[in-house]
Amino acid sequence: MSPAESPVHEHDNLVLQPRDVRFDWSRLPMHWIPGEPTATHTINVLHLLLPAGERWFVRVFKQALPLITDDRLREDVLGFIGQEAIHAQAHQGVLDHLLAKGLDPGPYVRQVEWLFHRVLGERPGLTPERAREHVVERVAIIAAVEHFTAFLGNWVLNADALDLAGADPVMLDLLRWHGAEEVEHRSVAYDLLRHLDPGYARRIRTMAITGPALYWLWIRGARFLVAADPQPAGPRQKASWRGFLAASRRGLLPSPGAAVCSGARYVRRGYHPTQEGSTRQAVAYLATSPAARAAAH
Amino acid sequence: MSRSLPPDLYGRPRADRMMRVLAAFGDAFFPLSTRPRRRCRPAAANAPPRNLVVATRRAEAEDVVCLRLAAPDGAALPAWRPGAHLDLHLPSGRRRQYSLCGDPADRAAYRIAVRRIETGGGGSVEVHDALPEGTRLTVSGPRNAFPFAAEPCVLFIAGGIGITPILPMAREAARRGLDWRLVYTGRSRARLPFTDELRQLGGRIEIVSGEEHGIPAAADLLRRAPAGAAVYACGPVPMLDGIKAAFDASPATALHCERFAPAPIRGGHPFELHLARSGRALPVPADRSALDVLREAVPAAAYSCRRGLCGICRQRVLTGLVEHRDHRLTDAERAGGAMLVCVSRAPAGERLVLDL
Repeated sequence: MSPAESPVHEHDNLVLQPRDVRFDWSRLPMHWIPGEPTATHTINVLHLLLPAGERWFVRVFKQALPLITDDRLREDVLGFIGQEAIHAQAHQGVLDHLLAKGLDPGPYVRQVEWLFHRVLGERPGLTPERAREHVVERVAIIAAVEHFTAFLGNWVLNADALDLAGADPVMLDLLRWHGAEEVEHRSVAYDLLRHLDPGYARRIRTMAITGPALYWLWIRGARFLVAADPQPAGPRQKASWRGFLAASRRGLLPSPGAAVCSGARYVRRGYHPTQEGSTRQAVAYLATSPAARAAAH
Repeated sequence: MSRSLPPDLYGRPRADRMMRVLAAFGDAFFPLSTRPRRRCRPAAANAPPRNLVVATRRAEAEDVVCLRLAAPDGAALPAWRPGAHLDLHLPSGRRRQYSLCGDPADRAAYRIAVRRIETGGGGSVEVHDALPEGTRLTVSGPRNAFPFAAEPCVLFIAGGIGITPILPMAREAARRGLDWRLVYTGRSRARLPFTDELRQLGGRIEIVSGEEHGIPAAADLLRRAPAGAAVYACGPVPMLDGIKAAFDASPATALHCERFAPAPIRGGHPFELHLARSGRALPVPADRSALDVLREAVPAAAYSCRRGLCGICRQRVLTGLVEHRDHRLTDAERAGGAMLVCVSRAPAGERLVLDL
């Protein structure tokens, strides 16, 4: 939407509410993008990272609640954490399904759980001032992660190549319902960060760490899943850069270059999450999503 | 969770290298980045509740009054989009939400329209009887729980006073040149507000009044949707339930309805919450949720959906019999004392001791 058409910030004042979605995985094939194990498993990394990650978002934001002095922002944060809790639960369902199909995500998931508790969790024995700063620092990390989840949400809402490749419709609905809610609530973590620390240093510092760490975790997760896949596509089952890039050129994965450019936009002074993605498109998808419509009954 | 490093990803007999790097980084980074600083002032609230004044009021249809609310100094009001509503803090202390039904381009006033419902909770009667021109009111918002996505092909379905959020959407659809039509239903034409204003928009508008046509079935209303259309529906609950149930068999592909506050509590009894750590006792009346009562005592208590879905408001019950009404907790979690205070309650006179 052009600025001329959009007198209000596009997201302004949307009421955020969790939707009670359910997905039936009983018919999900291991390679839910047919014949594309690399693309399938690269997207599957979401299911490994998100349950632990989004539960951590909820814990940090609950600790941030007493610091909020703006009623509207508090309402946004409360809507946000409910949506994140349901996202975590929905992706957990896929993890359970992978295990039942003979792919044990355990080693990776245990590391991710450990990371969110041991490295990013509470640190005992902090003074009240330091405890507050520790909450705000982690809110800043979440704001940086949310920049990428909105990027991915916007990508998957527009990834027509997935439909053309015959991707499983239930999985596509999970990804697009989740992606649409990420676009819908993309400003909340950033607005919370600006409320608790309007400065620039923290935003830059946390993006400089979060961007590369996420990238690293992602590549590692994709390699792990491809190696652990019980239905190898070829005799030598290994994820390769060539495979990632080929899938992204075909539109089955986001382009790494676009992800880097998106990360760079986050550090611009005039950045606001509403500049990325379209609330209108997200709202339109949620009205057609089989899971979201069933939840509205 | 154990603080020792997790095992290698591929079962090699050593602690995982990436985890070791991240742990060392975290241990160095957080002490530096969380040094107490000169405390910066928290940013100002961006939407404090505001005071407005009833600028004009007029009868819009049988039992419908239309109010224009403006800033006392005539200043421009914050912008809004079709589907937005305003929270009115009425002089009696009641809070009610009303859809904005004016033109978003008119920044001088917010317009709402309210049908008088004698058997309701008293809010609409108060708006009709106790808000003459010049009354000052506190409002919060606008907020939008019914956003308009402006799909190329749209069917609006409005039942009676449900026209209020639809009217600005129809205006925007006309302005954008979308392919849109509206079915507007009600008991009688005299009771339907804004029919003249709608006609000026020049779209295909069909009025179905109960007097002339009987009450239309939801499937009949939906039949007016072209293939692939987006439906926006607002009206009485039975009408919306009918539309949701009949939707899958209709030619339309997208359904938008307003997302309302949770339904009132049914079959609740009064009971008591007891906070173990502070020793406070909080009586919960039959018509209020445990969460609402708890929030008054513990303002930072987290919650989200208020429907027993998301699990955010979970508390641990030390003693007492819980009447579980959520859709989230497993039997094992319930047996372990978990309770979602947004919906779950207790039998009459029961005392629930919370680990708070």
